[in-house]
Amino acid sequence: MNVKAKAKKSIPASRQREVPGQDLKWIGQNMKRVEDPRLLVGEGEYADDIALANMLHAAVLASPHAHARIISIDVSKALALPGVHAVMTGEEVAKVTGPLPCFGSPPVEQRCVALGKVRHVGEPVAIVAADSRYIAEDAVGLIEVEYEQLPVVADLREAVHAKGAAVLHPERGDNNIALQRSFKFGTVDEDFANAKTIVKRTLRWPRSGAQPLETCGAVADFNRGSGKFTVHCNTSMYNYVGWLWAVSLNVPAHKLNIVPTMAGGSFGSKLFLHKVPIIAATLARKTGRPVKYLEDRLENLSSCDHHGSDRYYECELALDADNNMTALKCDVIDDYGAYFQFGIGHHGNALSQITGPYKIRSVEANITAVLTNKCQQGAYRGFGSEVSNFVLERMVDAACDELNLDRLAFRRQNFIKKAEFPYFIPTGNLYDSGDYEAVMDKAVGMLDLEGWRKKQAEALKEGRYIGIGLATCQERSVFSSTEFWSLNNVPGFTLTSSAEGVSVKLDALGNAVVKLQAPFWGNSPETMAVQILAEQLQLAPSAISVAYADTDSGLSGTGPGGSRYTVMIAGALVGASKIIRNKLFLLAGHLLQAGKDKLELRDGKVMVKGTEQGMSIADIAMQAHFFRLSFPDEPEFDTGLDANYTYDHPLTTLPSDDRTDLGIFYPIMGHMCHMPVIEVDIETGKITFLDYVAVHDCGTIVNPMTLAGHVRGGTAQGVGTALYEQYDYDEQGQFRSGSYADYLMPKVMEVPPNVRVGHVETPSPFTEYGIKGGGEGGRMGTPPALAGAIEDALRPLGVRIDALPVTPSKLRGLIRQAQAK
Amino acid sequence: MKTSVSLKINGKSYQDDVEPRTLLSDFIRHHAGLKGTHVGCEHGVCGACTVMIDGKTARSCLAFAVQCQDHDITTVESLGTQEELSPLQQGFWEKHGLQCGYCTSGMLMLATELLEHNPTPTRDEIREAISGNLCRCTGYQTIIDSIARAVEIKAGTALEAAE
Amino acid sequence: MKPSPFEYVRATSVADAVKALAAHGDRAKLLAGGQSLIPMMNFRMVAPEVLIDIGNIPGLDEITIGDGSVQIGAGARHNVVMASDVVRQHCPLLADAYSHVAHFTIRNRGTIGGNICHHDPASEVPLVLTLLGASLVLAGPKGNRTVPADTFFLGMMETAIAEDEMLVRIDVPFQPAGEGWSFHEMSVRKGDYAIVCAAVRLTVKDGAFHDVRVGFNGAGTETKRMAGVEQALEGKPATDATIAAAVKVAVDLSDPSDDVQADAAYKRDLLSALGRRALEQARARASN
Repeated sequence: MNVKAKAKKSIPASRQREVPGQDLKWIGQNMKRVEDPRLLVGEGEYADDIALANMLHAAVLASPHAHARIISIDVSKALALPGVHAVMTGEEVAKVTGPLPCFGSPPVEQRCVALGKVRHVGEPVAIVAADSRYIAEDAVGLIEVEYEQLPVVADLREAVHAKGAAVLHPERGDNNIALQRSFKFGTVDEDFANAKTIVKRTLRWPRSGAQPLETCGAVADFNRGSGKFTVHCNTSMYNYVGWLWAVSLNVPAHKLNIVPTMAGGSFGSKLFLHKVPIIAATLARKTGRPVKYLEDRLENLSSCDHHGSDRYYECELALDADNNMTALKCDVIDDYGAYFQFGIGHHGNALSQITGPYKIRSVEANITAVLTNKCQQGAYRGFGSEVSNFVLERMVDAACDELNLDRLAFRRQNFIKKAEFPYFIPTGNLYDSGDYEAVMDKAVGMLDLEGWRKKQAEALKEGRYIGIGLATCQERSVFSSTEFWSLNNVPGFTLTSSAEGVSVKLDALGNAVVKLQAPFWGNSPETMAVQILAEQLQLAPSAISVAYADTDSGLSGTGPGGSRYTVMIAGALVGASKIIRNKLFLLAGHLLQAGKDKLELRDGKVMVKGTEQGMSIADIAMQAHFFRLSFPDEPEFDTGLDANYTYDHPLTTLPSDDRTDLGIFYPIMGHMCHMPVIEVDIETGKITFLDYVAVHDCGTIVNPMTLAGHVRGGTAQGVGTALYEQYDYDEQGQFRSGSYADYLMPKVMEVPPNVRVGHVETPSPFTEYGIKGGGEGGRMGTPPALAGAIEDALRPLGVRIDALPVTPSKLRGLIRQAQAK
Repeated sequence: MKTSVSLKINGKSYQDDVEPRTLLSDFIRHHAGLKGTHVGCEHGVCGACTVMIDGKTARSCLAFAVQCQDHDITTVESLGTQEELSPLQQGFWEKHGLQCGYCTSGMLMLATELLEHNPTPTRDEIREAISGNLCRCTGYQTIIDSIARAVEIKAGTALEAAE
Repeated sequence: MKPSPFEYVRATSVADAVKALAAHGDRAKLLAGGQSLIPMMNFRMVAPEVLIDIGNIPGLDEITIGDGSVQIGAGARHNVVMASDVVRQHCPLLADAYSHVAHFTIRNRGTIGGNICHHDPASEVPLVLTLLGASLVLAGPKGNRTVPADTFFLGMMETAIAEDEMLVRIDVPFQPAGEGWSFHEMSVRKGDYAIVCAAVRLTVKDGAFHDVRVGFNGAGTETKRMAGVEQALEGKPATDATIAAAVKVAVDLSDPSDDVQADAAYKRDLLSALGRRALEQARARASN
């Protein structure tokens, strides 16, 4: 496939302006974050820190049922409670506010307050605005609702066959299938027919979620005079698709200004909030007063619209006589819950790196997305490709076990080699660059694999079970928006832009203000912007400040997601800096009587090359802002020193019409090798970490310290997914994870005490400086590494890990079964 | 029915008429206007809202403001300023002990309590001390590094003072 | 997630609190450390109309030595009990169990009395107090009465305390010198609610187990102590075989149920593993 594809397909020329390997001053430094001082003293401005005069507080009556028709709602007692200003049912809301934005195609209708029936526990049934959240909750308790229960669909495999009253959205047809489609990429039938070995596994990935410590929140104000909404919210993507809120609110987009707040974590789960801000805005319009709606933790757990992937896989992996992997087949059912906000994008994501770092030449993917009576899926660190990493690495380990092959050597044999990039994978996506052997070799060296193998053997003699895991996974970065729709049967809105803008202004004193189009949500956007702009304009970092544009003033900005943000703002800043630099050189050239091409930037000054003659940027800026008559009467000398620049995706192409080729949509390819060492207490199923090495290749590194932060933080979340976390629903769709005593995330005692992070830098030939994304970090690789480590530890017992999370109870169950054999 | 509650927070008195059910966390944030204390779960598991009551860490979502009359409350605002970070805050900055910053105030309170009892803790003691609080960003390791770094900074400061 | 409204009463003495209880009847609930009560109120699982704050009663948190016992005021905070030299010296089983109780910050505020009266079935302290033969002193309108731990702890979240009574003191007899003891627990994460706890006290005389007390949380049995297990050990040779047999009895007597974090089979496995570990450790600690 690859050779043929290369012949047929051309790779767009690189638009890279700043090549890798330059002698850099600020990029590559462990710079302390510029965001931190205000956060450390408690002055970060999060959603709940917004307080407007006369502000009311919202609370939500949540459905106690998984699936039920709403027969009647009596709000009279709630309305009569002193301090209550509005109570709105779904019917009342629907008169003024339309359905929520949905990227699925055809869309699945979702309302911010359920209309006619409820489809999951926790879904809003009525909303209240009151003087305080306390009173609002009192009012919620006084609302009386009569329900007629409907059959519940809580099992993803049963959902495939549901009919009649068990159908969640009958207007879409008499079934609960949100989308079903089969794809064949390359000669998959032939490769399976010719296979020497076919490895089969059934694998289960659990429903977990981001659970940032700050929930979703919004403060909405409606100005009756201007008819305009102002909504402060901890969402992202407002400068991309924020106008869709205006559509829901039935106002033109210019009648809505979205103002970002800092987010206390997101990990994807605040990607594009809709329910929370629309509830706040609907109540603000109703009451004529600002309204704050901040989810409480129960609401976030049960109704955040951002549960993670929940998948059942039946997989087959074909190998030839030389143990080369040739083809992969995955039948997957994905439980999307009750709605379909992001459509099938998660599987597009998976298909961007479905064959991992290996030369697998054909792929069959049969995808069934089902609707069930659960909170819907949204985004969580990996957006579905972390699942395919788990699946592929499990299949690779399974192949090694069945053929009695060394897990390292087998991977090495099947890796795409350094010289083979750029490399098309069967789905049509391109991997820009990589050096997978270097990453694995570095990890093996850092771990002291031989030493641990010896300790493992010694321990086993004492009845202790030590295991060493290995995962070599892709970390695709910089999504193109085609992934949102390319898998749809009905393409829908076939957007192709996923840009990132930036505004840069040098003020009269020569200090720079950068305006970003997306929020802080726990990443380091200000630090990244400062390091990159300092490099571009040779300014001191202390001369740069960063602000966040609202939608009234914002440029196009897709925001963080899919590990794209650093790459994209680097592109935007390089573009904006070029404009600023040109103007600086134009003005300085005139003032210094030197040709533009004779000038260079050096330590905050414009200097004539090869001389000590020059002018400070501050002096030029002062001239630019206040001394127009110092310059010729030509338009390019006009007052000001600023630039807007919008950077588009560096490398993307359209899918083919028949979808045998999805195009290039996620090409900036990172890689990682994770090697945990664990010990299993076989009596209690308790797992203890003895060591952990994580080597990542994210191309040119802007800040090794913050990148390592993503790696370690992602690893901890990966530990959670692998060993602890699950949103648990019983067969009646009742939610059993409604508190942090039930939804168990790792605390410090549950994570490796020392995740030793290594970096390999294989720069991208397509991005500025060769930067690749790295934000999704360890969660992309930790789950398969841990599954492998557990199997390795329990090899003497023959335990196999096919499902996560491997809780102590479940692991002990597997050990018990193995011991009974 | 509202009642007058007056609390001493970081040595300063804050009075307001509030319902007895007003959680300490809400009083600190919305009545005293001290926004550094964050609310994460409101059922005492995440620890983001950790403050000190009479010098001992407590979860401010698990106390009523009215209970705390006549008791001393300490919050993150009692530590340093942006211009002059405390050694703990400096340690967190240098060692990347925070990402989103939401759990940070609680972690700083735990670390403050630890270092009061045990000025030179081992890494395991630091781990134990922060073991009740959730951080979803860092994986905790750099929080331990940060507290260890603060111990070094304090020692250095003490050294400077002695010189 | 905010509590329902309530009337707040701050008690200044035990008599004051008992009087308030009598005045408000079942509308009222005592508020001590609040570490179990307030989360339930925030979820509106409970909504007392009156809260009687006993957190400021002078002397209610004192720990003193009585006649062969440690007398712990009901208002003593967990961390104070845990760190108390008196408790560590005379009731090491209690101090040991405390290392599994929640987290430091919760223990700063939670009180031993509140923990006991709440009586969560997974809670460590009621189990060890039962094994230690503690007595609970209750104050009521008619004066004080003392109830042995054995009969104080009833079913899940139920105790023998009457609506108009308040726990004021816990008397914990000294563990005799030479006694072996142990406490083992498994929870999913450190500080979480226990799935299973095993607690043991015993002595070893002439190579045999004596004075055996064994109890579990998470076994699904009516009582915390398991008489059948104690009988399987009492007077028997202090051997691994005896321990294995006793642990098997514990598993046979148990009737655990499935829950979200752990299935019944797992709990039985834990009873077996933790029971054995606790008995082995207690045997090793006992002086021969």
